[in-house]
Amino acid sequence: MLVQVNKLNVFVATGGKDFDSSLPTILFLHGSGGDHRTWAMQTRWFAFNGFSVLSPDLPGHSLSDGNAFETIEESAEWLEKFLKYIGVDKVHLVGHSQGFLTALVYTEKNSKAVSSITAIGTAAEIPVNEHLIKTAEVNRDKAAEMMCNWGFGPYAHKGISSVPGMQPIGISRAIMKNNPLAVDLRACAAFKRGNDISKKLSMDRHCILASHDKMTPMKAGLLLAKNMSIVPTVIENAGHMLPIEAPKKTLNALRQFIETIER
Amino acid sequence: MANSSYYKPETIALHTGYKPESDHGSRAVPIYQTTSYAFDGVQMASSLFNVEQGGHIYSRISNPTVAVLEQRMAALEGGTGAICTASGMSALFSTFITLCSAGDHIVSSEQIYGSTATTLRYTLKRFGIECDFIPINDMDALRSSIRPNTKLVFCESISNPGMEVSNLPEISKLANSFGLPVVVDATFATPSLSRPIEHGANIVVHSITKWIGGHGNSIGGCIIDGGNFNWGCLNKKKKNKFPELTDPYAPFHGISFWEEFGPTAFVMKVRSEAMRDIGAALSPNNAFLILQGLETLDLRMRKHVENTKALLEWLKSQDGVLWVRHPEMRDDEHIKKMFPNGAGSMICFGVAGGKKGGAAFINSLSLSTHLANVGDSRTLVLHPGSTTHSRLTKKDMKSAGISEDLIRVSVGIENIEDIKTDFKTGLKSALRAIK
Repeated sequence: MLVQVNKLNVFVATGGKDFDSSLPTILFLHGSGGDHRTWAMQTRWFAFNGFSVLSPDLPGHSLSDGNAFETIEESAEWLEKFLKYIGVDKVHLVGHSQGFLTALVYTEKNSKAVSSITAIGTAAEIPVNEHLIKTAEVNRDKAAEMMCNWGFGPYAHKGISSVPGMQPIGISRAIMKNNPLAVDLRACAAFKRGNDISKKLSMDRHCILASHDKMTPMKAGLLLAKNMSIVPTVIENAGHMLPIEAPKKTLNALRQFIETIER
Repeated sequence: MANSSYYKPETIALHTGYKPESDHGSRAVPIYQTTSYAFDGVQMASSLFNVEQGGHIYSRISNPTVAVLEQRMAALEGGTGAICTASGMSALFSTFITLCSAGDHIVSSEQIYGSTATTLRYTLKRFGIECDFIPINDMDALRSSIRPNTKLVFCESISNPGMEVSNLPEISKLANSFGLPVVVDATFATPSLSRPIEHGANIVVHSITKWIGGHGNSIGGCIIDGGNFNWGCLNKKKKNKFPELTDPYAPFHGISFWEEFGPTAFVMKVRSEAMRDIGAALSPNNAFLILQGLETLDLRMRKHVENTKALLEWLKSQDGVLWVRHPEMRDDEHIKKMFPNGAGSMICFGVAGGKKGGAAFINSLSLSTHLANVGDSRTLVLHPGSTTHSRLTKKDMKSAGISEDLIRVSVGIENIEDIKTDFKTGLKSALRAIK
């Protein structure tokens, strides 16, 4: 569906079902250069199984108008307006990589509006290699190529796909090269408050990490889990692009966590 | 580097899309000779039908053995996804009907395979889809043939049998500027020699019966989505130009393929609609045989090209050969750019004595095989004027670059000296026939 926030069109995937605010709502936030398709294999399941799903393309990304946010704080402010517009009082927040940072900052001011928060393939803070940012500024295609090379794990590199006939690396690269990667990466690099905020989370929380994550390495993910005082779920043979390259395992981990809360 | 894999093509052809399965550790890709797949409970079944997760339901739609071949083809071409079909023609038909509805229009190169021309000129016309045929490298002709209802531009990367190389960078640039995708039949090239998506094409189609399978034992086709076309573009009336991919699709809960799948919207629509409705599925057994061919594609193509270059040079100096045609004999920049490692292993030549001489040539060959196929590891010969293109009018034959004296050769990977000896016998017979 298309909604207007700050007078700009925002595309929001709802998992193939009309949005229904009477159902428990899960909000999915994509990472740098991504879009709602990051969550294609999770959102539809929840939408068809008793939840309402919101998976926006953040401003400036894929099917949404506007410009990408320069800081994580700006994107969290936007998220506040977005949820207000939709009319949702309480959400389960699920964030991949940069999307989790936005979710984290959102909880600072809105902790009572958050049923739970799930970190996927991420860390409390995401330092970004300066060379990657510079490459993204001048050559998005090249930067997308670098991101996919580092971002995907061993199975995806061998072209293993959960959807018959598809190539996850090719799909991600096609999406990333048309999105504002440099702005996203700069926003990640500048964000330094993740450790502090993640230690203060009081709502239900979960962390799903990938054994072969080179973008936000396991070490950083484990530190985040420690900050959140939880034991993370670790998915083997997958890289940073967890929701895309290990969709079923990611979904199962998410289901187990969110269904337990809603039961 | 391909867009969808960081392995080199030789490695992709051997490894992509498969890891030794957990039960028995089979190193070769197993043949899943099954119609259907057991559901692990009702919830799993409904989640597959609702596209909540990937997986197999019924082998008309997808099959694990076929999927490995699809994933390798997608990676080799640098696409986002692929679908294999029962034949090259069903791959083309599925592509056309996925993008076009009654009232739509196609612009096609006039130099294309006879059966494709027949489909475009006659079969699709019965369903209200019209086609104009143009000299595809003439950009003025391309520009002026585009109508408001045009939905795609079609060509062959190397045309059959005219040997014309479509200037894909220029064609794609122009077509895309009109909001039109370029569909390329790249059968004669294979991804070993040229990858159309890198040159701007949006959808690549193959008859994998030919060089990809390479051993003349299985019929198959493949469609690869480049993932590089904006199906959400609007027409001049500010309406969706490709409602087939953007508008809610009732049979799938009102899904919009473009919104839901983005860079794989086209190929997902083919799987959801054309495979369901036409049912032109590749059999798992054929997929297995074609996979065996694909694994050595790169090695074979190098030998095909080496033999082709040698035979070309030899033919030019032979009595009884009136003319020789191969893309590399032209000095066009786009050919060098698109085919740095050789422009395929098809040669056309004119034999002395016209139709009579051609018949004598073909009838006296003992090593090369006279049949209606190309891309076998063995050398194949054909007289298109009396076979593959016989349904065309004289005018259309001329447009397609065919003359009565034309012999089409698909150069095999035998020892080149044996091929030359065989052809020498054929040329002597042709010359004798006109004395």
